[in-house]
Formats: sequence, C-alpha cells, structure tokens
Amino acid sequence: MAMRELVSGGAACAEPGSSSSNPLGALANALIGSSSKTQERLQEVPTSTNRVSNGNIYEGGLEPALHGSEFDHPPHASSQGSVFLQGFRSSGQDAFANAWDEIQNPQMPLFQGRNNLIPPDQIQFQPHDGPPQRVLSNFLHSFVNSGHGGLPFHPTPLPALGLSKGEKQRIRDRSSIMARHLFADKNEDFVNAQVNALLSSLDIDTDVQARVTPPGRSQEMENVWNDSQSMQNGPRDADGWIAEYDQHRVQKGDPNVWAQSFEQLHGANGWASEFENEQSQIASFGQVRGASVPSLAAMEQTRVLAHTLAQNPDPKFKSSKFLQFVSKMSRGEITFEDNQVKSSGLPAPGDWATEYQQQFNGGQSWVDQFEREELFRGSAGWVNEFTTAREQQGPVDDQWVNEFSKLHVQDWADEFGRQVGEGILGDDSWADTYDEYLNEQTIVKQQSVTSKGVYVFSKLNPYVGHPNPFQEGQELFREGLLSEAVLALEAEVLKNPDNSEGWRFLGLAHAENDDDQQAIAAMMRAHEADPTNLEVLLALGVSHTNELEQAAALKYLYSWLRHHPKYGTVSSPELSDSLHHADVARYFSDAAKISPEDADLHAVLGVLYNLSREYDDAAESFVTALKLRPYDYSLWNKLGATQANSAQAADAILAYQHALDLKPNYVRAWANMGISYANQGMYEDSIRYYVRALAMNPKADNAWQYLRISLSCASRTDMMEACDSRNLEVLQKEFPL
Amino acid sequence: MAKSSLKSAALMEQMKAHLSTDAGKDIVKKVNLVYQLNIAPKKIGFNEEIYVVDLKKGEVTQGPYEGGKPDATFSFTDDDFIKISSGKMNPQIAFMRGAIKIKGSMSAATKFTPDIFPKPSKM
Repeated sequence: MAMRELVSGGAACAEPGSSSSNPLGALANALIGSSSKTQERLQEVPTSTNRVSNGNIYEGGLEPALHGSEFDHPPHASSQGSVFLQGFRSSGQDAFANAWDEIQNPQMPLFQGRNNLIPPDQIQFQPHDGPPQRVLSNFLHSFVNSGHGGLPFHPTPLPALGLSKGEKQRIRDRSSIMARHLFADKNEDFVNAQVNALLSSLDIDTDVQARVTPPGRSQEMENVWNDSQSMQNGPRDADGWIAEYDQHRVQKGDPNVWAQSFEQLHGANGWASEFENEQSQIASFGQVRGASVPSLAAMEQTRVLAHTLAQNPDPKFKSSKFLQFVSKMSRGEITFEDNQVKSSGLPAPGDWATEYQQQFNGGQSWVDQFEREELFRGSAGWVNEFTTAREQQGPVDDQWVNEFSKLHVQDWADEFGRQVGEGILGDDSWADTYDEYLNEQTIVKQQSVTSKGVYVFSKLNPYVGHPNPFQEGQELFREGLLSEAVLALEAEVLKNPDNSEGWRFLGLAHAENDDDQQAIAAMMRAHEADPTNLEVLLALGVSHTNELEQAAALKYLYSWLRHHPKYGTVSSPELSDSLHHADVARYFSDAAKISPEDADLHAVLGVLYNLSREYDDAAESFVTALKLRPYDYSLWNKLGATQANSAQAADAILAYQHALDLKPNYVRAWANMGISYANQGMYEDSIRYYVRALAMNPKADNAWQYLRISLSCASRTDMMEACDSRNLEVLQKEFPL
Repeated sequence: MAKSSLKSAALMEQMKAHLSTDAGKDIVKKVNLVYQLNIAPKKIGFNEEIYVVDLKKGEVTQGPYEGGKPDATFSFTDDDFIKISSGKMNPQIAFMRGAIKIKGSMSAATKFTPDIFPKPSKM
C-alpha cells in the first residue's frame, strides 16, 4: 500500500471531489477514532512542556497503528467531505491509544530532560526514521489528529519524501479542503494555520503562483492561502536554541554559566551554522508575516527560557521579576513588536513591562539588546531576506550571519562576559541586580511625578478636620516635632490654599526635615500666594543652592534683594534674565556697606557665595551674621555646611553641634553630621548619625542612600537588608548614639 | 576651575578639596586609578565637559587626560552622575541601562563607586 498512491489517488488529476481519490480521508478514517481516550491525551499535550517536536513524536508513535485492518478498506463515498467526517467520528481504537502512550513516554525532545522526570539517557532528539511512506502517513495522521484537541498543528521538517510537484499540488488542494471540513467548528485562522503547517512540513510550496489555477474553488483556496498566518518557524527555533543551550549548560542555577553559554552561542559562529542546518530542512516561508512569526517564535523561546529559569530551585530566581517578565512574554501577555514591548491581555496599572518600556527609549537599552539577541528578531526584513535567499543555501549562511552580527551581539556578549568574569556584578547575582534595576525603575517613575514643584500631600492626615491646624502646626514646629508639624500644616493649606504663611512654614518644616524637594514645592506655593515675602525668597534660594540648581537659586536671591525695602534701589531696575553671579554679588556687597548690621543680608550673601563655591567668603559672611544673631540654629547649620563642603569637616562638626544644641530635633543637622563623619572616613560614626536622623524623619531619602553607602564602607553588609527594608528598629538597636 | 553650569562641577570641586584631606588620601591609596569623566548636560556625547579624577596623584582637573590613557573613561549626563555619586543610582544597573558608557578597563570601572565621592552638605 503505497502511501504515495493513496495520496496521488492513482490519477494525475488534482480535482478535489472526485470520488476515487479520497486517500487521505480513508487514511484518517482508518487511524483516528474519536476515542475519548485519545482526546484526553491530546488535550494533555498543551500542559506538557513538550510542544517542540510533536510531529516527530507522532510519526514515531503512530507507526504501530498503521497496521490496523481498517486501513485496507477505504470506504467509497461520493463526497470526500462526508466520508471524512464519517471517519472522523468513528469509534475509538486501542491501537491509537497505545500509540499515544508511546508518545507520552520518553521519546521526548531533549528539553524535557531538564525536568528531572525523564532519565537523561532517553534524551534523544527524535530522528526522522522510517521509510518515506510511513513518515508521510504518520505525518498526515497527526495533521488530522490535531483537529481533535484543537491543537495547532506543528510543522516539522521531514526528510525528503520525494513528492513530485504534482503530488504536492494534490496534497495541497486536498488538505486545504479537508481541513476546512475537518475543522469546520474552528475558526478560519485555525484552519489556515493547520493547512499551512502541514504543507510547509511536507515541503510543499505554498506559493500559489507556482501552480496551475483551476477555476472557482481554488480561487477561494488561494485566498485562504494568502491570508494565512504561519507558525512554521516557531518551534524550530526553539529546537535549535534548546539543543545548543542544553549542550552548554553545566549546572542549574548559575547565572554565570548562562552568560558564558550565551557567549559561546554567539562567540563561535557555531550556533549560526547550527541554525543554518536546521533551516535547510524547513520549507520555504512563503507568505510569512513578519510580525507574527517572530512573535510566536519569541513566545516559544521565552517559554523555554522561562521554564529553564523556573527549574532553578533558588527562590530568588523564582520570584525575580525577570523570570516573571520572561514568563509573561512566553505566555504571550507581552509581545515585542518593532522593538517595543506591548503588553496584551492583562495590563495592570503599573504594569512592569509597559512601565519598563516607557522608561526606556534607547538603542542601547538592555531590553532591545536582549530581545535582539534572545529572540533573534531584527525586523521583518530579516525574515524576508532569509526567505528570498532560501534558494541558495550557501549565501544564506553568510547573509544570516552578517545580519546577525550587525546586531552587535558580539560586543554585548563580550562586554557581558567580561563583566561577569571581572565580577562587576559583584556580590549580587545577575538576577538580583536586575531586580534592583526594576525596583529603581518603579521608584524613578514615582519620583518623576513628584519632582520639581509638585507638592505631595501625605495620606492619612490626622489633622484634617482640626479646628485650627495652622496654630497647631506652628506649635508643633516650635517644639521641634517636624514631621507632626508637617501634617498639621498640610491640613491647614488644604483648608486655605492661599495661606502663604501656612505654605511657608510647611516649606520650612520640610527643609529642616532634610527634604528639599518638598520644601521647594511648598515654598513655590507660598511664593505664588505672596511674591514679595523675603523669607520665602531666601528659603527658595537656599533650597535651590542645595540642589545645585544654580540659575534658579541666583534668581531667587536676586529677587530677595530687589524686594527688600531698603536695598531695592541698589540693584539695577530691569530684571535681566541672564543674571551673572558676579553682578549680583556686587549688589549685595554694596548693600552690606549701606547697613552692615543686617544679619539677614550677610546670611543671604553667605548663601550666594556658596553658590559660586567661594567658600571662604561664604564662611566669613555667616560668621558675621552669627555674631549678630548667635542663637539662630539655621545659621549655624549653614556655616557648618559651608565648611563641610570646603573639606573642613572638623570645623563643620563643631558648627553642627551648636545648631543641635539650639534645636535638638534638627534632622538636617543630624544628617549633615553623618555626612561630615563619612567624608572623613569615619563610617561607623556616620552610621549612627544617619540612623538618628532617620529615626526622626523616616522619609529622608537622601539619608537612606548615604546610610547604605556607609554600611558598605564599614563592611556592615549584615545590616544592609535592614537598610533596604528601612527597618529602623533594627538599625537603632544596632547603632545607638 | 573654570566656572561651569553643570551640577557636577560643584561635586568636582568638592572632590578636589576632599582629596587633600586624610580621607581623600586614603581613597587615593585604595583606588590608585585615573578616571576621565565626560559629563554632558542633557544627552550623552553632546556639549560634554571633561574632568579627570586622578586617584593616583590625588587631583581633579578639567579637560582631557594628558598624562597617557585614563584607566577608565565614563560618559554620562549631569543628573545621572549626581545620582550615582550620591548612591541613588547603582552604577552597574546604570551601565546595563546604557546610562553610563564605559571605555577602558572594566575592573577599573568597577572601582568607580559612590563611596569615593564626598557628599554635599545641606544648608
């Protein structure tokens, strides 16, 4: 029983519908049964990780089933469709069930081997054995079977079956029609996909121009072909990648190995040639849609990758966001389209993938590199190029390799390899570092909302509804309870948004709490409410100086001068945009000559000199101011900061101590103390001061960063976790003052 | 140093002063490398200001390194450098993101950590 004869129907004619030629139908009828058992098995398949070479499995497993007796009696029927359907619904067969058992048993592709379910010696890539007829028959069986479980049919490369062009045409025609009937309950796309897959595996050219076009019906089929989307290349990519990967994989759970093996993949052109070999077995791409093929390929590969990573028992891996991301990719929740991450289906707010992509626009982005390297997705152009070049095997090697090398894989792999080699990733495992990055991204996103002038109110404010929050706030401020004062004052400005004093106090409280961002935001509102308030202007000048925003700081300090009742005349009347520091300084000096006893003036001058980093002059100004107002804690802090920034840390500490004597809850001064100790290399001491500052204001983000640095400098990595989780209790216990 | 509008310039000056202190001398002893920093105001590679942090001699100068090749050259934006030196941004992560471009010895680059920089005090 030559399969060939069956297929060709013993006639040269390709007309579908002729009664004598229903070989495939008969075949299918013979072997399939709609036994419930087989259906179950079929439905099991999606959950198994073996999606890769079902075709091979089918052929291996179905072999025994070929010898069923029914096979020799193809029913005669007038219409192909009805016969087929009849066969389709016929009752089950044990033979088939047995065959399926064989499939499930370890003739799995080597990917399964990592599951620890399969003994390693059975990791064999299913060879294409068997005489061509058997191969073809099995293959066709599987095609029909695939309708049962609703599985997409997987195209597999089959060895040359020696099908003539005519035979190929017949197969194509018949199978497409059959598929329509067979999968009548499925949607069009499924049908098309199935047929495509079948034909591609049989190495049948799907290019419709190549064949003679019979009228009518085949036009329809032509359209069907043209519209089809193909999954041809997906599993094959994964095959090759898996094969390579598995060979190189030394042990689980070592990210370095992954990097190295990856390097090897790309370093030698071994992978390239391997891929090339694989490709030579695959049918032409035909009307490949660039977008869908790689995305499906990507899904497949990432699923493989995700699975592999998930095998790692290390909990860090499992919980890592990277793994989740890859898993998402593999499940198709996220797809890459044109180098953009597109999240589909479950776009939760703060969805990591979209967020991530939004942060990232650069050709050098890690995601881009990763997707290029991992998913081999240059662009649709790559696929097309490959398609057109398929005819010539030789040049394809070069083309593909060239294309691939253009993706700068080598550079990246080298860099990465070196990094790993040099241990640049430090103590953190690669996954950890990546997690850190992700966390950072979310923080950055949050921060970008709050930055630059937008005040962020606290949630859960107990003072909202208080009868007189402003008074309460001022009282709390005087007592030195800065964080409480902040809450009360927030309640006030929520009630009366135009209360400039309310905003000013709020800004002041934030500044003393060592939060310049919020201080600026609050002070801006105060400024809006009252543009001439000198204290506001000074505070804005100071905060901007701290933030190294030179131009803005200069603007506010100059404004201070111009709005001052006494010195308004000193400066030139027009407010020039391009203020020069030297000019402004000169004005101030002139003003100082007018009234040398004005402590405020000297203070502002001091800030001005800080701006231009003329620290000696700045210190002098502050000293003068302090002589006039010795109990001004803020001036002591300013002096200290000036000295600290000019590397006179010891003097700075003395000044800070004065400030703290006057105001014990002065968070800023505590933090500055820490900085001065750290700058002197006295890290253990600095830690204590930072912790003290943070105990008073846990929201002081700067202090947390500095604490972390000091901990690592003092080699107190045991406390690093407490720092990262902002566990003040532990830190306070460990580092008391 | 010539007046610059970069925030990083303030940091560079502070570093300069810092290197003459005891702590600064310790850093020189520990690191003993020469870094060149190409700091751009907005976008890497545009309008860069070049500083050399010579942790062999213990000085900070402006302009490209004349005494040979720096052990590592970094390119980043003004804001990013501030974030790195204050510990807000992890340099490895920044590198992976492409926020830092590094040339030269990778091992030298790994020693470029936040703790070699003095922190600015706040008035």
